[in-house]
Amino acid sequence: MKDLFLYVGCTTPVRLSAYEAATKAVLRNLGIELYDMKDANCCGAQYVESINRTAFAAMGARILALAERFEKDILAICGACSGSLKHNKHLLDTEPDLKAEVNELLKEEDLEYTGKVEVKHLLQVLRDDVGYDAISRAVVQPYNGIRLAAHYGCHVTRPYDIVQVDDPEVPRVIDDIIEICGAQAVDYAGKTRCCGGPLLAMDEDVANVIGREKVDNVKAVGAHGIVTACVFCNIQLTQVQFGEGSAGRDRIPVLTLPQFMGAAMGIDEDTLGIPLNKIRPTVLLEFMHRIESKALHREQEAKR
Amino acid sequence: MGAQSESSESTEHTPSSDFAKEVAAEPGGEGINKCIQCGICTASCVVSSASEKYRPRQLIQKIILGKREEVLKSDIPWLCMTCRMCEERCQEDVSPAEIFQAVRHIAAREGHIPEVFKSTVEKVLEDGWMLADAYSDFIEDDREDLGLDTDLAWDSEFTKKVKDKYFKGEDAK
Repeated sequence: MKDLFLYVGCTTPVRLSAYEAATKAVLRNLGIELYDMKDANCCGAQYVESINRTAFAAMGARILALAERFEKDILAICGACSGSLKHNKHLLDTEPDLKAEVNELLKEEDLEYTGKVEVKHLLQVLRDDVGYDAISRAVVQPYNGIRLAAHYGCHVTRPYDIVQVDDPEVPRVIDDIIEICGAQAVDYAGKTRCCGGPLLAMDEDVANVIGREKVDNVKAVGAHGIVTACVFCNIQLTQVQFGEGSAGRDRIPVLTLPQFMGAAMGIDEDTLGIPLNKIRPTVLLEFMHRIESKALHREQEAKR
Repeated sequence: MGAQSESSESTEHTPSSDFAKEVAAEPGGEGINKCIQCGICTASCVVSSASEKYRPRQLIQKIILGKREEVLKSDIPWLCMTCRMCEERCQEDVSPAEIFQAVRHIAAREGHIPEVFKSTVEKVLEDGWMLADAYSDFIEDDREDLGLDTDLAWDSEFTKKVKDKYFKGEDAK
């Protein structure tokens, strides 16, 4: 069994615990054990990153050094965290002076960054460590007739040279997994465009225009839901469907990838945190209940 | 010969302003020398498509032309979402996201930091993470129901050290 350190980030445990729970449940089912990283710090993405390069590198280096202490690779489920940790790993591995400076700070805690652990985003773990065959074998309730739109997250897939996840113009991993789970992956305009989330702090109105356009593009192709692989994207694509101008408009459910997968693997709704989703994924739930009632029916038939 | 080398120099689009040189010398800002002002960055930009305030090509042009004060005192470099769609499409291998990050670093050293960035950095360095204030009993209950650890165990000692070393006097500026 492979094990990884889960670097959960600041936002997931507060705003989207269900993503964390579903990730753990699904990966456990697929033979990957996750360990919570304790005494970690924020990765510094966007905010510290914009103000001071060395401080940002130091914050990333400490997280990487904590993983080195236990000789485990890091799994990041947030686009900003995975992107920023990979970015800082790249800087530390290519700039000896920067590495020496941050190691000076880490030394006080007996930590050292040497570069021996990797940072992986959830999509890499699912495709490369678990593999599509194993996912396919774990699917016990394939979705049929459900159409889903993948949203990848900018910091998950760009810049390719550093993050190494998927083709940044035509990403496939989420789409592939949607189809392995028996659903239909649908294309839509602006699929690789940003959700608008990173702009919320500086200009909420523009951020929401960007998010709403994305949702409208997904609705235009008749998808039943959006599948995400980043906590910020998930929250942003959900929240833009509430508030001003949303009254009377249909909402489209936004699911994290492991919630979507978990249901197909027969993991129950509560374990996946689906009741906590702000937009109930009705089609998905109806589908699950249909499966359950079929199973019940089969059981009763067998008893006769 | 002389005329020829002059014309080949001009096709390198090497900027002449001091500010462009300053940005090029800042880590991440090197790409400023390679921009040919084609505008594919603005064409690819979702912020530009949703708002008239932000035009990455135009901002890069201002750097090339040396409008140092105007650029550093403006919020515009802080509107880039770093989604890197433009960088993916740039034929000249320029990353506007990296250039604007370099510009932010210069601006920050001179005390030009948007309030929301300033307060968020302050919080992160003080608490060790971003959402200490938002972590409520209700969320703890949800986590308990999900079988997740309620003690998030963030460390703030290190970020305080980082603050002392790299952010001393930031507020005074």
